[in-house]
Amino acid sequence: MPDRKMFWRIVRRLFAAQRGRLLVILLALGASAALTAALLNLQVDARDRLTKEFRVFGSNIIVAPRDAKSSVAGVATLDESIVAKVRQSLPPRASADSYLYLVASVSSANSSEAVNAVIAGERTEGINRSSWRSAIVTPRDNKNLCLVGVKAAEQLHLQPTDRLTLKNDKREETCLSEIDDPHGDAQDSQIVVNLDAAQRLASLPGKVSLIQLSVAGTPREIRNYIAALAQNIPAADVHGLRQFTEAEAKIYTRVSGLLTATTMLVLTLTGLCVMAAMSNVAMERKNDVGLMKAIGGATRRVLRLFLAEAALLGLAGGIVGAAAGLLLSIWLGKTVFGVTARPRLIVYPVSVALTILVAIVSSYPLRRLANISPASVFRGEA
Amino acid sequence: MFLRLVADSFGRRPRRKLLTGAALALGMAVVTAAFSVSLDVGDRLAHEFRALGANLLITPQADSLPLEIGGVDYRPVNSGAYLPEQDLGKIKTIFWRNNIVGFAPVMEVPAEVLTDVSTASSQAPPIKTTLVGTWAHHSVALPDGRNYSTGMDQTNSWWHVDGRWFHDDAPEAIVGKSFATHTNIKPGDTLHINSADRSTALTVTGILSAAGPEDDALVAPLQIVQQLANKPGQYRRLYVSALTKPEDDFARRNPTTMNPADLERWSCSPYASSIAYQIKQVLPGVDAHVIRRVAEGEGNILTRVRTLLWLASFAALLAAALAVGASSAAAVIERRSEIGLMKAIGAGSGTIGFLLAAEQLLLAFVGGGVGYALGIILARILGEKIFGVAPEPSILVFIVILGLAACVTLLGSAIPLHRASRYEPAPILRGE
Repeated sequence: MPDRKMFWRIVRRLFAAQRGRLLVILLALGASAALTAALLNLQVDARDRLTKEFRVFGSNIIVAPRDAKSSVAGVATLDESIVAKVRQSLPPRASADSYLYLVASVSSANSSEAVNAVIAGERTEGINRSSWRSAIVTPRDNKNLCLVGVKAAEQLHLQPTDRLTLKNDKREETCLSEIDDPHGDAQDSQIVVNLDAAQRLASLPGKVSLIQLSVAGTPREIRNYIAALAQNIPAADVHGLRQFTEAEAKIYTRVSGLLTATTMLVLTLTGLCVMAAMSNVAMERKNDVGLMKAIGGATRRVLRLFLAEAALLGLAGGIVGAAAGLLLSIWLGKTVFGVTARPRLIVYPVSVALTILVAIVSSYPLRRLANISPASVFRGEA
Repeated sequence: MFLRLVADSFGRRPRRKLLTGAALALGMAVVTAAFSVSLDVGDRLAHEFRALGANLLITPQADSLPLEIGGVDYRPVNSGAYLPEQDLGKIKTIFWRNNIVGFAPVMEVPAEVLTDVSTASSQAPPIKTTLVGTWAHHSVALPDGRNYSTGMDQTNSWWHVDGRWFHDDAPEAIVGKSFATHTNIKPGDTLHINSADRSTALTVTGILSAAGPEDDALVAPLQIVQQLANKPGQYRRLYVSALTKPEDDFARRNPTTMNPADLERWSCSPYASSIAYQIKQVLPGVDAHVIRRVAEGEGNILTRVRTLLWLASFAALLAAALAVGASSAAAVIERRSEIGLMKAIGAGSGTIGFLLAAEQLLLAFVGGGVGYALGIILARILGEKIFGVAPEPSILVFIVILGLAACVTLLGSAIPLHRASRYEPAPILRGE
């Protein structure tokens, strides 16, 4: 088709004729595509990252015995088969700690008298250690170690690596002590030991007092997970640790609203910026349009020419710019969250499409060119 | 003459100038909104984070080891130390008193509960539970004579009471949800409480759902629990909820080893640890701990969100600079023939550059001012939508915005202006 061949030839010529000016537009389009891609990617990634960041608060779901009738701790227990069920339903990036609490009398080599203290037997399921605590050796890894809270250590006049004796009725366990970092809560007065040791001490084999789960996700995902788990384990009481789930939900909505609002603002602004640059150039095409019309070009065909040009510019700017933007967001993610942001592939086509759209919409002022009469252009009037 | 030329330029092409001005105003409005929100977000989020409850825990210094599991202390009443309730007003006298948003003392006693139904049938044995004494909404007398109202409804905002909270001076109580379910206690019932050798009767005013160990307990006014335990005017633990600044390395240093200048800087920052230190100074015989789980998580997230928003603000700034720069560049290019004419009748490059720059600056200040006003409105809408509170307009942002507008317009027109100064008038006037 000679007609089509001619069309593309003119488009090629249009590009070649005004290289300098087109470069400026391409730069503007590319920059806006980069900004779009970087912000969109960062926005999608930040929401996800935020839900993980919330896990520094530690566990957010509790599985407890249903009939905790008695106020005396450690009497109502769960069977370890429930722990197994919880473990199977654990989503990726989640962890579960099972605890058995009991009160035992504790003595060390240095302290003459025994002190009553809460012993927490602990075992962790799931891979990621999601607790906010720094990575220290815990009794889970070493069966002979017990982690002593700072308050308890003070009462026992404990030195690190002292040998501790835990006594409950006639049962006895010994372990090497390690002093924990201060937590500021009940953990400071507890002694954490291996779950097996606590079960032997309490003579409650295969029992736990409660299971703490740390599950990352949006507030809705967590609600759904709790509901599903509660249905799965009717024997136990599954509830969210509302102190954290409620605050997290609140903060999540606020922050994600804030991010969306800012992103929308910036994107609108970038769009307007590109439009301004494009329409300036379009108005400069008066002479070309006049000439084409004079030699018999139909208005529609002339317009199509310029639209094709704009779309091609948008495509080129979008492809290069969006790629640069994604790289930028990876680096930005590293500075904000310390972890490189994962590039979302969906962001790339979306930002390229947005750029092309903006480029075409910005050629809107070209419509005014349709009313130009060739004669007035050649006479030098506008 | 100079002023006349500038005025003339605005009068002659109002539409063109309006367009450039609008681009400027729009760009600056977005930047203003983004900056105002970013400046404000730390404070707003700090308030939101108080939904997490207390971040400081106050306990007696000379205490026996608490037997605390899941927030309830299982020690017998007679073991361990207590703190005097009358000192609590002093907390609101520390340097950071306005950052303390609430506090509530707690004291537990083991108790046996008899309901109306079980006394009537006299068959059911009394039910053992824990009676938690605290403030629901208590008015604390401050040393300066004012009153400060605080309590659990402020420190533990996630506690939902179905019915109503008890009054702090009435023989009333609220019942934990699961305790209420398996004892069939309803609001309006009267409970007979025995603890050691004392007893009292309480009216149930509501059902508490706390999603914690309190669901299995009774919560009653502190005063009543003190009488039951025979410890009038005393409490065992105090939860304090304070607005704090995220901790950094400096915050974690030990105040006793600091030199006076550092110590002053440290106590003048609302770190959780410096607030704890100040509370320790006004309340004798206490240990104040920062609840790390809450404080550190809060700090981490706050820092991240703030950085994220500043990034978005800078993106807005970049986009605005691009828009404004492009339109001011276009404005200069369009005036080639005018520049040629002026040169032909004897104007120097400097004069022309000065004239055009003055025009651009005037436009920048007007556009920047309008943009600031628009941006403040935008920030108000955003703030109210997201946080329910509008950010305060700040003079700092206004000055920054005007400066930015001037910079961006001047930079945007610098290159075309530089070129314009080298134009030869003859070809331009010939129309080439």
